[in-house]
Amino acid sequence: MSAKIGSRIKALREQHGQSQEDLARLFDFKDRQTVSAIETGERKVSAEELLRAVELFGVQLDYFTDPFLLTGEGSFSWRQSGVKSAALANYEIDAGRLIAAFRTLGPQVGHGAPLLRRALGLTKQSQIEEAAAAGERLAAEYKLGDVPAARLAEVMERDLGLLVLMVDPIKGVSGAACRLPELDVVLINRQEIAGRRHFDLAHELFHILTWDAMPPQHIEEAVPKTRTRVEQLADSFASAVLMPASVLDRFGDWTTFQDDKLIARLNATADELLVSASALRWRLVSLGRLAKAVGSRIPENRLRHNGHPKPLEEPLPPLFCKSFVEVIGRAIDQGRVAVRRVSYLLGLSIDDLADLFKTYGVEPPFAL
Amino acid sequence: MARHRGAVLVDTNVIIECWRVSAWRALTGGYQVETVQMCEIETQTGLQRRRREQQIDLAELRASLKAVHAVSDNERATALLRDEQFSFLDAGEQMLWAHALTRTDAWVLCGPDKASLRLGIRLKFRDRLVSLERLLLDAGFRPRNGLREAYTQRWLEKTLTELALLEGKQS
Repeated sequence: MSAKIGSRIKALREQHGQSQEDLARLFDFKDRQTVSAIETGERKVSAEELLRAVELFGVQLDYFTDPFLLTGEGSFSWRQSGVKSAALANYEIDAGRLIAAFRTLGPQVGHGAPLLRRALGLTKQSQIEEAAAAGERLAAEYKLGDVPAARLAEVMERDLGLLVLMVDPIKGVSGAACRLPELDVVLINRQEIAGRRHFDLAHELFHILTWDAMPPQHIEEAVPKTRTRVEQLADSFASAVLMPASVLDRFGDWTTFQDDKLIARLNATADELLVSASALRWRLVSLGRLAKAVGSRIPENRLRHNGHPKPLEEPLPPLFCKSFVEVIGRAIDQGRVAVRRVSYLLGLSIDDLADLFKTYGVEPPFAL
Repeated sequence: MARHRGAVLVDTNVIIECWRVSAWRALTGGYQVETVQMCEIETQTGLQRRRREQQIDLAELRASLKAVHAVSDNERATALLRDEQFSFLDAGEQMLWAHALTRTDAWVLCGPDKASLRLGIRLKFRDRLVSLERLLLDAGFRPRNGLREAYTQRWLEKTLTELALLEGKQS
């Protein structure tokens, strides 16, 4: 607890532009060494000192002690459309709580953070084709199979050590990538149609795998007027992961189809691959399987909803993911976190929480 | 068993469960039942965190309780600094324990969440942790609607043993 309180006092002091000497004066300490010792967790604070910090910084007591709070440790990159910055900032706190819960409780129940972090050897100077080639290799080396979208989340979690959370975010948010010192997380709006959800997943994966070389922007437009170089690379990578040439080749020669037959084939294939027909069209163009002029002639409205009158009704992916739910379940079972606390954290009633465990085949760890 | 004569501290879960099985009058008739303000708030509609909520009348609740305690910031800060496990509890449970630590009388605490029970063990108050079933039986009341498992004496005994083992492994 001392280390947590100390690091949060330090973060607030720095946010307020204060030196350790400044803080020592405000706390009536003899010297700045006392502040330094508190910030490193070497010296415990008393209840009175903690309440003095609450008063000085104008925050709640829980700010210093809450184990489910990210205080400047996480960097987010949001994929969104038209979300007001204040609303996004508030949602970032809520999403951060989910991530912090996994990060805090995981190691307590034997689910530690991965030892190593994977990265792609791409830079801002990389060619679009190089990003696509990386996507192709990822699909092949991690054996994503005939329908890569169906297995991508599982591979990201199991083989790449990422946490992939299906969430119900505020309106306008498609997803996010989040980097913590010891953990990478992808958040996906589970309410999005399958094609967009899978594309977002692969797109965010690119950001995670290239974070150091090309840190993504904090806020990205889901449908921007102009794409930055990094976004172009991310889209190229995502398309290749979800629609590798080897997978598309099993659908035969695309040049033999024209007009309505081509459109019908694009829509049917996109349904099968769990992607959008429009994304498939441009992927085929970029691979040279379809002439650019032919691709450009297809009216966008003929590919909307993959040719269906409205988005296909499909079961929503369950909230969060299995590893997240298992960690929370073990933590409740071992008495490490209270059920009501988890209920608030996940935004679910206690009864809905029990159902969530059952969805993942986990016996609810409480009988309240 | 002999009925406990001192204060019985109850949390939100217990109040709601008592209401659900129509045992509140029996409990408050048989004991000096006390809680904290945060637990009282959490029993109200919209804050119960249950799909099907109980209609708990605030005036009736207050009238039947021996005391509803305010918990000062200092008491809560003291508790949080004493054991990190406090910070993993729900607000009501956290404040109930913070209040309990200020008392010197022979209180017992009824709160069935495992995290609350584990904190009780860590604070060396295992013998003060009681089940709702035991309290009701000692007061001569057997609820017609069965209590959920976490409120039974058998579950409490088994769970305390398991949690004590977990604590033992860590020390």
